[in-house]
Amino acid sequence: MKPAAFTYFAPSSLDQAVSLLADHAPEAKPLAGGQSLIPLINFRLAESRYLIDLNRISELSYIREADGTIAIGAMTRQFEAERSELVSRTIPLLTEALRFTGHPTIRHRGTVGGALAHADPAAELPAVAVALGAELVARGPAGTRTIPAGEFFLGPLSTALAPDELLVEVRIPQLPPRAGWAFLELSRRHGDFAIVGVAAVITLAPDGRVERASLALCGAGPKPVRASRAEAALAGASPSQERFREAGEIAAQEIDPDSDLHASAYYRRRVATVLVRRALAEAHRRATEGR
Amino acid sequence: MATQAPARKWIGQSIPRVEDPRLLLGRGEYVTDLVLPGMVHAAILRSPLAHARIASIDASKARSLPGVLAVVTGREIKELTNPMPDFGPDPSKHTWWVLATDKVRYMGEPVAAVVATDRYIAEDACELIEVNYEPLPVVVDPVEAMKPGAPLVHEPLGTNVAYSRTFVFGDVERDFTEAEVVVRDHLRWHRSGAQPLETVGAVAQYNPATGMMTIYCNSVTFTFLLFLVANTLKIPSNKLNLIPCPAGGSFGSKFWAVRVPILAGMLAKLVGRPVKFVEDRIDNITTSDHHGSDRIYDVEMAAMRDGTLRSLRVKVVDDYGAYIQFGVGTHGNSLAQVVGPYKIKSVQYELYAVLTNKCQQGAYRGFGSEVTNWVVERMVDLVARELGMDPVEIRRKNFIQPHEFPYTIPTGNMYDSGNYPGVLEKALQLADYQGLREMQRRAREEGRYVGIGLISAQERSVFSSTEFWFWFDQPTGITSSPESVTLKMDPMGNITATLYSQAFWGQSPETMVAQVVAEEFDIDPSQVSVIYGGSAGGLPATGPGGSRFTIMVAGAIQGAARRIKEKMLKIASHKLEVAPEDLEFAEGKIRVRGTPERAMTLQEVAMLAYLFKLDLPPDIEESGLEADYTFDHPYTTMPAPDRKNLGVFYPFVGHACHIAAVEVDIETGQHTFLKYVAVHDAGTVVNPRSLNGQIIGGVAQGLGTAMYEQYVYSPDGQLLTGSYMDYLIPTAMEVPKVEIGHQETPSPFTPYGIKGAGEGGRMMTPAVVSAAIEDALAPFGVRVNEVPITPEKILRWIEEAQAPRP
Repeated sequence: MKPAAFTYFAPSSLDQAVSLLADHAPEAKPLAGGQSLIPLINFRLAESRYLIDLNRISELSYIREADGTIAIGAMTRQFEAERSELVSRTIPLLTEALRFTGHPTIRHRGTVGGALAHADPAAELPAVAVALGAELVARGPAGTRTIPAGEFFLGPLSTALAPDELLVEVRIPQLPPRAGWAFLELSRRHGDFAIVGVAAVITLAPDGRVERASLALCGAGPKPVRASRAEAALAGASPSQERFREAGEIAAQEIDPDSDLHASAYYRRRVATVLVRRALAEAHRRATEGR
Repeated sequence: MATQAPARKWIGQSIPRVEDPRLLLGRGEYVTDLVLPGMVHAAILRSPLAHARIASIDASKARSLPGVLAVVTGREIKELTNPMPDFGPDPSKHTWWVLATDKVRYMGEPVAAVVATDRYIAEDACELIEVNYEPLPVVVDPVEAMKPGAPLVHEPLGTNVAYSRTFVFGDVERDFTEAEVVVRDHLRWHRSGAQPLETVGAVAQYNPATGMMTIYCNSVTFTFLLFLVANTLKIPSNKLNLIPCPAGGSFGSKFWAVRVPILAGMLAKLVGRPVKFVEDRIDNITTSDHHGSDRIYDVEMAAMRDGTLRSLRVKVVDDYGAYIQFGVGTHGNSLAQVVGPYKIKSVQYELYAVLTNKCQQGAYRGFGSEVTNWVVERMVDLVARELGMDPVEIRRKNFIQPHEFPYTIPTGNMYDSGNYPGVLEKALQLADYQGLREMQRRAREEGRYVGIGLISAQERSVFSSTEFWFWFDQPTGITSSPESVTLKMDPMGNITATLYSQAFWGQSPETMVAQVVAEEFDIDPSQVSVIYGGSAGGLPATGPGGSRFTIMVAGAIQGAARRIKEKMLKIASHKLEVAPEDLEFAEGKIRVRGTPERAMTLQEVAMLAYLFKLDLPPDIEESGLEADYTFDHPYTTMPAPDRKNLGVFYPFVGHACHIAAVEVDIETGQHTFLKYVAVHDAGTVVNPRSLNGQIIGGVAQGLGTAMYEQYVYSPDGQLLTGSYMDYLIPTAMEVPKVEIGHQETPSPFTPYGIKGAGEGGRMMTPAVVSAAIEDALAPFGVRVNEVPITPEKILRWIEEAQAPRP
């Protein structure tokens, strides 16, 4: 279980990394926390002739508030984001979802940007990015561009990034007032990729009706699935267990899960119904009772 | 019978683990740490297909890769080796080679081996070997494999049923005829395996001048059978020196893992340099030769209306995979305790050992008995359900009683001793069983699904070799399974104990040896050093397996200690001018009974023994204080010629009662443990803390088998669980806190009354988890008849139970 030979670069600045990537794409792969890429190359399931290690680029590691969003540098460790007071105060859905991302040892190495750019359809962070309407900032030889999360994820391990582009930042809007959230996930063991996971946010109108609901699921298709019809059914509705149950059933029809060793598509759909209902109920509870 | 000392100083103490400091300091000296001058590295090319003829292999590109020293394929293997050691039914018809020769029989079967200057290059070279496979029809379902016309795994056998036989013990017909209740079920135990943290590895060095083959290795026990390994390597039996390295876990899977050392040895001889071959995780998962049991059962249990159990009829199909190295020994194991702790009068056991295109079975903690425990407990619960009895009551009613030991079960095996009602009572108290039932009642009122499982089952220990061959009428097989030790007291009065098997594979052999030696001489355990001897200069040893090691090594230590102590007493008697029988070993001295101030230290006596020959009594011929002792199984008998009685083959029988409470989320199939209690009777406990460690680890593995772990093969024989992404081992997050209790019913037949206890956790947990889940789902009438129990299966069972019946 040893990788094939590769050339290893360890740039110390973002500029160097972008230029190395431009020189060696498409045979180059950026190495972030390595929690997915290293096993893949050791199994020889992925081969890259050039590895560009981003771990020495300190300018990509930060969490800061900017224009009503929280900007997180791509090389920020998941553990830092999970422990960030700023994150838990402004986007607590992310804090909650990160607890399902592997185990603490994995989160100490794994990065926020790595989990997004790897685009595993069962991973938590892409679903959170979609549910919260995050924007992803990419940099390539031509400069910087911003991609909405809804357009970033294309399929399993596939994103809108060009081979010579690096993900450098994710910008996540802060939760508005009167919003409640929940992240629920079902996996065979704690820390595994989701069988199904649900990121839910409910924003209430002053009269207690649902002003807006956001729902995104992981493990539910080739990429994170936004349950738009379920969201629409909730908008303007009076929140109740019955509404949440209906939303769960609608969401289950919107997803496109696969069968694999750990769960059939049938099972995934069935528990998605349950998880969506429970996540909405929890989000609503938090929206009304506070955090 | 062993005399029971009234009070013991060291046996029974939780002394700090002797092995810990070097493991915690990273000085474990595992086989991968070993570097020899000029050492090179091997990797294997594994078959991507489950069943195919090897039409051709072109290794020319691999051979010309810089850094590659040799590539060996099946074409050369018959020149370089003899077939692998094989205890199967007819090795001439299911021949096993270290590399596949004419065809591959399972995905992962080694096809070629590469030696290179480093492991990376060796793996690069594997990718350059071009193998032309002609695919053959694949058979992975053992029931399909039994049918006429099924693709044959081994053509010379003419069938995939490598072995079948029906044994009848006692009057099964009468017991079933007279029974008032007969319950039947179809039970499925899927294949899993041990998953040691460290895989199997070896470093081999061959000296062409002396012809000596030295293999450092973390696997292989049975040092008295190593002539078989020498034969495979085509070297004389006295030119093989196998040196044990500590193993990072085995759980059975390194029991007789001979492929790795043989491969390393063959390659070292070929290239003339030391060769290291350590399995990577994929090697270990796909081709360990030690997958666990994979059984399909149809079982009937006969009982009376009052709950008395009468008889058991078992039909079992076991999927052995592509080879059958230990024959059906795992079913021999099952027959050691096939009636559990109950007075079941008769047993019929119908076995079909089937070959398929999968990795072969080997050993895994329980060696087949863990499956039988699950089956028996599942059936007892079914009888209880049929009769509306509480699981506690049916067990109490049928237990063999404390005064009935030694007790011979229908198969002929003997249970030495036990107090099953005592263990049950302790477990009920520890778990607060009544309180749990009350909690369950309240939960049901709230619409929650809480279940309580309770099982009581056996843990046989110290196998006799007869279990590997009593299946056949002819020829009879070996009857020895010895364990040896050398004790040496040096002139300073310190003691070195030499062990002769692959003794250390993650448990605590050195701690145990230090405690037993300290007990024998009444010295401090810190005065005992433990080393491991190579096979060339070594004594016969069988090693850990079948929970035998503590009993057997304790027996060997007692024997060797007796010899040394006799000599020391003679010397001290001569010096102190006191009769030997008036002397005693106490507090590091030999002293006169009743006059403790008249004494010699052990060091004084040892100095005399080594350095002052002219001071020794004239009847002492040799100076020094060293003794070997080979301890044989203390209690076995031969099977009857007609096999109506298999003799005594696994007689030191521990017992346990486990109680688990779980809550099931019936919308998702997920579960939460609310309580887990384990009360064990392992006879005299040597070290309570290490025994607790064995129990907790066994529970974790048992939970894996019960709910998470399975080697899944696709219909075309692809192993789909080839890594730990898909083969799910429970972590600390999944394993419940285990509350442990002990009862000590000493064995009358073993040193100090010890019973083996290395497998107990795994032998109990699948049964108690199944019972608890079934109980939680009792409102739906769900029956749990398959492990692993997954969330999806739970939902399916609920659906099926609710579906209208035709």
